[in-house]
Amino acid sequence: MDKYEKLEKVGEGTYGKVYKAKDKSSGQLVALKKTRLEMDEEGVPPTALREVALLQMLSQSLYLVRLLCVEHVDNKKNGKPLLYLVFEYLDTDLKKFIDSHRKSIPPSSLPPTLIQSFLYQLCKGVSHCHSHSVLHRDLKPQNLLVDKDKGLLKIADLGLGRAFTVPLKSYTHEIVTLWYRAPEVLLGTTHYSTAVDMWSVGCIFAEMVRRQALFPGDSELQQLLHIFRLLGTPTEDQWPGVSSLRDWHEYPQWKPQNLARAVPNLEPEGVDLLSKMLQYDPSNRISAKAALDHPYFDSLDKSQY
Amino acid sequence: MAANFWASSHYKQLLEQEEVDVVHSPDKEKGFTLEDFKLIKMQMSNYIAKLAQYVKVRQRVVATAITYMRRVYTRKSMTEYEPHLVAPTCLYLASKAEESTVQARLLVFYIKKQYNDEKYRYEIKDILEMEMKVLEALNYYLVVYHPYRPLSQLLQDAGMTELTQLSWGLLNDTYKMDVILIYPPYMIALACIYIASVLKEKDTTAWFEELRADMNVVKNISMELLDFYDSQKVTADERIGAALHKLALKP
Repeated sequence: MDKYEKLEKVGEGTYGKVYKAKDKSSGQLVALKKTRLEMDEEGVPPTALREVALLQMLSQSLYLVRLLCVEHVDNKKNGKPLLYLVFEYLDTDLKKFIDSHRKSIPPSSLPPTLIQSFLYQLCKGVSHCHSHSVLHRDLKPQNLLVDKDKGLLKIADLGLGRAFTVPLKSYTHEIVTLWYRAPEVLLGTTHYSTAVDMWSVGCIFAEMVRRQALFPGDSELQQLLHIFRLLGTPTEDQWPGVSSLRDWHEYPQWKPQNLARAVPNLEPEGVDLLSKMLQYDPSNRISAKAALDHPYFDSLDKSQY
Repeated sequence: MAANFWASSHYKQLLEQEEVDVVHSPDKEKGFTLEDFKLIKMQMSNYIAKLAQYVKVRQRVVATAITYMRRVYTRKSMTEYEPHLVAPTCLYLASKAEESTVQARLLVFYIKKQYNDEKYRYEIKDILEMEMKVLEALNYYLVVYHPYRPLSQLLQDAGMTELTQLSWGLLNDTYKMDVILIYPPYMIALACIYIASVLKEKDTTAWFEELRADMNVVKNISMELLDFYDSQKVTADERIGAALHKLALKP
């Protein structure tokens, strides 16, 4: 690890501290993510092994943050080895990027062509994960890294440590945001599918247009109510099986609102794509691959991706 | 572990024959030849398969373990990475990666059963130490695609399921060579079907033509496999013994 000079702590990821660092020999900036290995008499835990392997496999895509290498360090203090995942460094994330537009004086919108390009790159990355049967499960603006100058967006924080469930609390006891969580997850479905990620993509799409979250709930119930108020309370007709999900209760009956009004200035093709991402029934929700062919992207020069 | 070979790290990790056939300098200094190198890798493939029978894991785990072992030796010497320790460690690692974890102590038990010779008997801590070294040698690339699934699919497509047993056996034997490091899995599957169909005198020309697969590659793999069988006619034991003896020499 002497190869790297730690510059500053840039975050407390869900699974460990993240540092901005510099490769001493090349001067390249990197992000160092520390992961403790809970070794016992069975060596490297299979979950950690599979996660690193998945990351190593998936991060070949341009739309995922690149894993440059893995460094193994023996921890002298307690004998528990550390793995440092060394990622390429990007200067900001989509949350900060949106915030900078909202807080600028006067506030400015994200240019429509940039939203289109970011969404396309996001769908590319998600499609790549899904083609390898990997779900991200925690897509949110903080997890999307942005290179402002080049107009690049890349998915980060991939699948590390979440084999089956999305954690409610991170190891630092910071509450994990619910804003991008799909309704079937909130309702306690036991069967996750790739559609959970597409719901998050829809929420992120809307947030880029609005510069504020589409469904900012602060509890699981509040989160559902936010969704129902905009999209209407789901019915068995719309979403067969919804009322038999584990956490389903009787809810107030809201009528669906006009989605276009929630995303002012979004062109009609964009609203159409958004509505397909926010379908209640997971099996009706548009896939990442299909989204790439949606007419909303017709005006985008796809040759550069 | 995953579905799409062409987008996978395995595809990007395919090597040229010349990159695989490298005897590393510490081994060379002991008078180790390329032939010796290949023989020991074959012997270790057999050892992995043997241990796998005892600990009862699927063929897929065996195939992955052998692939790990062969990848390790494209980068590391046998002098530094003792084959009799690397082989069981690769099986241990593959069992974890393929979600059918075998306990280290069980493995150690069967290693001791296999070898009366003190120097090839290892303890749990040796395996765990080597695990980390193997992981680093593999650069944490653990996802491996195998020709087994393409083989069944292709045979089904072709309506030649009667060739399953023969071509499956041929496929198992390809792991005694380095082909899995060099060729895409479905090409290896096609080569096994090709040989099986020739042996069973089934005309598959039309089917292969329709597939538009590169027959040069298919025939190259087939030739390699047939050459391998030829070389096996000369009893290998003596040659393996001689090769292992060289490895045991102190540098």
